[in-house]
Amino acid sequence: MEFLQAVINGLLIGGVYAVISIGLTLVFGVMSIVNFAQAEFLMIGMYVGYYGWQTFGLDPVLAAPIAFAIAFVMGLLIQRFLIERVINAPDVAQIFLTVGLLIVLENLALALFGSEFRSVRTGYQTSALSIAGLIIGVPYLIAFAVSGVVGILLWAFLRFTWIGQAMRATAQNSVAALSLGINIRRVRQVAFGLGVGLTALGGSVILPYYTASPTAGAQFVVLMFTVVVLGGLGSVLGAVFGGLVVGVIQSVSTLVMPIQLQNLALFVVFIAMLAMRPQGLLATR
Amino acid sequence: MSPPHGHPISRVVLAILALALVVLPWLLPAQGYVLRVACLVLLFAAMSQAWNIAAGLSGQISLGHAGFFGAGAYTSTLLLIHFNLSPWLGLVFAGFVGAALAALISLPTMKLKGHYFALATLAFGEAMRVIANSWGSLTGGPVGISVPFAEPGFVLMQFQSLRPYYYIMLVALAVTCITFHRIRTSALGLRLRALKNHADAAASLGVDTAVAKLLASTASGALIAMLGVLYAQFQFFFDPDTAFSLAGVSIRVALIAIIGGVGTVAGPLVGALLILPIEEATNAYLSSHAAGLSQMVFGAILIAVVVLQPRGLLHLWKTVRR
Repeated sequence: MEFLQAVINGLLIGGVYAVISIGLTLVFGVMSIVNFAQAEFLMIGMYVGYYGWQTFGLDPVLAAPIAFAIAFVMGLLIQRFLIERVINAPDVAQIFLTVGLLIVLENLALALFGSEFRSVRTGYQTSALSIAGLIIGVPYLIAFAVSGVVGILLWAFLRFTWIGQAMRATAQNSVAALSLGINIRRVRQVAFGLGVGLTALGGSVILPYYTASPTAGAQFVVLMFTVVVLGGLGSVLGAVFGGLVVGVIQSVSTLVMPIQLQNLALFVVFIAMLAMRPQGLLATR
Repeated sequence: MSPPHGHPISRVVLAILALALVVLPWLLPAQGYVLRVACLVLLFAAMSQAWNIAAGLSGQISLGHAGFFGAGAYTSTLLLIHFNLSPWLGLVFAGFVGAALAALISLPTMKLKGHYFALATLAFGEAMRVIANSWGSLTGGPVGISVPFAEPGFVLMQFQSLRPYYYIMLVALAVTCITFHRIRTSALGLRLRALKNHADAAASLGVDTAVAKLLASTASGALIAMLGVLYAQFQFFFDPDTAFSLAGVSIRVALIAIIGGVGTVAGPLVGALLILPIEEATNAYLSSHAAGLSQMVFGAILIAVVVLQPRGLLHLWKTVRR
């Protein structure tokens, strides 16, 4: 029973991990850039949620679309003026551009918002449903449900809209996409904006059970990379799978080891995955 | 950028520069702020050079060198606390610990390339930080540990004046630079360069790429762990989040080398000479306004260098001069 409860907790939180990590894998799929600064947009989303609640009394879940929009615009600009310049540069330039972004965003937040931990109070924060002896926290359930809806919307976007299809085409073969008249610079911009927007959205959604701080993003860096590497870097469906797996690993690991070591279990899984199956668990190659 | 050999003028310039470095601490107050910054410049230049041995020569960009550095700092300090072992001997133990950790992490990661290698090493450094934070009975946990205060003297590497520290850091820098230069010009260096430029071709020509990477990584890990000992003795106090810091150590040592020029002897020196004084100055002038601004400047410099000239300032200077 204890185990089943841990698995359910893991799946609920894993759904959110999936959404915040989809952005990372989308960016990699479309432009082969690993964005080390991705988790900083989670932190930005948290602050949007916090200030929406503090200033307007807005529920963080309702502030999530605003978080998405703000991060989307930031993403467009960052892609246009910075990332685009290193698209064909060596790995080292790409790695350190996004690492530089990570440092700038984290410290910008520190300068603007201060180092205090900030959290919101909502009516449902401590409510829980009890089903067949299992306890399901309402904020976790809401976050999971929002993640599910966002996942379906993204799937429809990639499948049915022109720009979504262009994005998939660019991910498969950017040269062919270019020769078919797709403006791949535009596609990359939208992909980057969408990617960081989704992560920011996730940040706002998890705020009811999380605290915002300038370093909140840094705590998610390895987690997000574990998610996408488990699912295969570049695979959107893989990120969903990876998110759920990471949620369950985290949750179940607390049954057998102290909670401070929760992340250590993740790091070990991550390094082992990279060493043995860097193409992801789902890949058939 | 090999150091000048035969050319008489370069030799004279080099000799004057060396002399200036030796005389410098006597021109500054013995416990002053400027000398303290000078010590940090030398230490970080050495750390960056140690990183350069693995990353610059083999092209494997590590984001986890804080893992070795922090392990070195903790090794010597714990040996000093529990067994009253001199930090000079602690240096030897730290070197072994750093080498062992580097070898250990090389095994699962050496086949990885580019982004994947950077990610794996980042996870390693963070894992070390988490371990140091949670293994409180050994490390003291998040509270941090202090080097026990002793009578100032050479044996326990504690001094009132900053001048002895300066010379220790200077020697450390010379040792890492010479090690880097010797490895680069050795047969191992040639193998590393071959695998950096074309790993498959190097392997097909009979280069044992695994052994070459392992050797470079072990030397690099051992050296930066030993520099961790000097850091501990210089700072007297540290905690897991500073000794194993991702931004403060792992990224910073890489950044210093990148700003100067990766894979060159002079790169880390130029980078450290530029970055640390800028950081200190922005700290002094901006931190009263808002925390985080100096680190923001640090990140912005990194972005600017990468966008303007990914091969570093040395290269930029060469292209401008041409």
